[in-house]
Amino acid sequence: MSAVRTALVWDPAVTAYRFRPDHPFNPKRLDLSVSLMEAMGLLEAEHVGIVPPRRATDEELLRVHTPEYVRAVRRFSEPGARAIEGWPWGLGTDDTPLFPGMHDVTALVTGATLRAAELVMSGEYTRSFNIAGGLHHAHRDRGSGFCVYSDLAAAIAWIREAHGARVMYIDYDAHHGDGVQGIFYDDPEVLTLSIHESGRYLFPGTGFVDELGEGEGYGYSLNVPLEPFTEDDSWIGLYERLLPDIADAFRPDVIVLQNGCDGHTYDPLTHLRATTRLYEETVRITCEVADRHCGGRVVATGGGGYAVWTAVPRAWTLVWAALSGQRAPDVIPHAWNDRWQGESPDLLPERLRDPAGLFPPVPRRAEIEATNRRTVESLRRQALPLLRGWGLGF
Amino acid sequence: MGQAAFIRTWKRGAAQDLDTGSHVGLPLRDLGFRAGRGAGAIAARNALTHSRTLLVKNRMTRDPVAVPADATLGVALRLMREHRVRHLPVVEGGEVVGMLSDRDLRLAMPSPLGMESAEDVAAAEGTPVADVMARGAITAGPFDTVEDAAVRMRRHRVGSLPVVDATGALLGILTETDILQAFVEILTASGPSSRLEISLSDRPGELARAMRVIGEELMINVNSVMVTGRDAEGRKTAVVHLGTIDPREAIAALERTGARVGWPSLENDLRRMEGA
Repeated sequence: MSAVRTALVWDPAVTAYRFRPDHPFNPKRLDLSVSLMEAMGLLEAEHVGIVPPRRATDEELLRVHTPEYVRAVRRFSEPGARAIEGWPWGLGTDDTPLFPGMHDVTALVTGATLRAAELVMSGEYTRSFNIAGGLHHAHRDRGSGFCVYSDLAAAIAWIREAHGARVMYIDYDAHHGDGVQGIFYDDPEVLTLSIHESGRYLFPGTGFVDELGEGEGYGYSLNVPLEPFTEDDSWIGLYERLLPDIADAFRPDVIVLQNGCDGHTYDPLTHLRATTRLYEETVRITCEVADRHCGGRVVATGGGGYAVWTAVPRAWTLVWAALSGQRAPDVIPHAWNDRWQGESPDLLPERLRDPAGLFPPVPRRAEIEATNRRTVESLRRQALPLLRGWGLGF
Repeated sequence: MGQAAFIRTWKRGAAQDLDTGSHVGLPLRDLGFRAGRGAGAIAARNALTHSRTLLVKNRMTRDPVAVPADATLGVALRLMREHRVRHLPVVEGGEVVGMLSDRDLRLAMPSPLGMESAEDVAAAEGTPVADVMARGAITAGPFDTVEDAAVRMRRHRVGSLPVVDATGALLGILTETDILQAFVEILTASGPSSRLEISLSDRPGELARAMRVIGEELMINVNSVMVTGRDAEGRKTAVVHLGTIDPREAIAALERTGARVGWPSLENDLRRMEGA
């Protein structure tokens, strides 16, 4: 554990990114997460800082969204906007309903990820975390799957423009990171790696191994579609073996890490079987690669995560601890449970980490692991020669 | 065919330049039709301004490469290679008189690979297309339906149909690839989706009720729907792609109406599997 300067970009104002009271993308998980970090004493050390976000400017939004789309989002942010008019833009839907102030707060969430990127690229901090960010389904001209603007793409595009740095975007949300992949599909300076439950089973229905990019960017979009019911060992193992090889071939200057935690066993929207160990281990592996290639630079965001009370706060507290190089104790202070239990429909956990053996092993484990291994082999065979330039005759 | 191959075909197909009917070979940039820029945007524009209904004229390649009946096999081979096609309509006096496939051509060569030896070259340059082609081609008309054309291709075991007008003049060609593309558009959603299957009994109002629950009660967009033929019990299965990341509400609402629902499929429902 080393004291790496790490910033949490946070202000309660970002919790206004809220579609409706009963919507699964529930900002309560942000309050729960930050309060858990605080209760565990993880926001006190000398080397960590809490930095407020700022609003993204129009120029920053327009790097990755069309002017028509940004104008439309503004229009739909007015009270009384009609859902039906939002449909051509993927807004006003059951998933991504209109709400007053939508533009302003999404610009704030986007600005928070930009702030997180600035803090790292300026050298002020080595790592940063915006738990409100990670809106990976937003497309250039279309909202989708709870996402209005792409904070991730805006931050990556800013890094490209201001610093010319090579960006490795890693996304282990249970859903395919289709928005970010689409926006940088032809860009060889931005590598996207998405690890997710196979699109054969889960929204958005894409993210297969043969989606490799196009034009100059061919070979720079990588996808690992996992089998449903994939558990920690398979997931962590494949990541630990794959990431260093990709990084050695691509040589990134900075890593942007989307930490959607809907792959956890408790998550109601997906069929993956991760425990809290996945979040600690993924961040550890990512930071090791960042130390080797990018002077440690990691810009992290949140993402999906719908087990709002039982999984998300613990997953993101562990992400934060691993990013900031702090050892988190395992026992959750009673004060945290006492503060929130009254509101929670579920019994709140008393330990930060899922104890080994909590979840019964998946019966089809061997078959699932074998399928995942074949998937990764297929990706390696197709993508690594391209990344290493072997496919181009160099 | 695997899902990955489907997606690949879907994307390539979506970038087809519908103005000229020629395959420009660019993959679709953003997934789904509201693509931002580049090939995807062109495809999206074309999709809006051109009919994509299942008539042969909307699915064929217009003004295809053809070969005169008196040309040599060498000419035909060069045309196939240059234009990367596997089927050449053979024309004579303004009419389609036959079809020449790459297989016909290969079988006409002395060596199995074709055009490898001097003997092959001599054979190719010395043989007229008319000697090797399938005579009296099985054709399609521009207003035939794609389903009719597909049935005809299966029945006659051919990989393509020349499309001709009433005088027999060549208008276009419809190949297996075009049929597959039409099929892919029907089977896959035109955007980010969750897949469900709904078991339906074969009587009026069954499908309508399911769609009403999804579309009107829950306001979830149905990106695509396909209904299979009757199974042994006389039931049909609707395969639907819903434009939502969270299909739980839709599943619950459908099940409340008594429908049997599978996510993503009836035989492989992840809610019931638990990895077993």
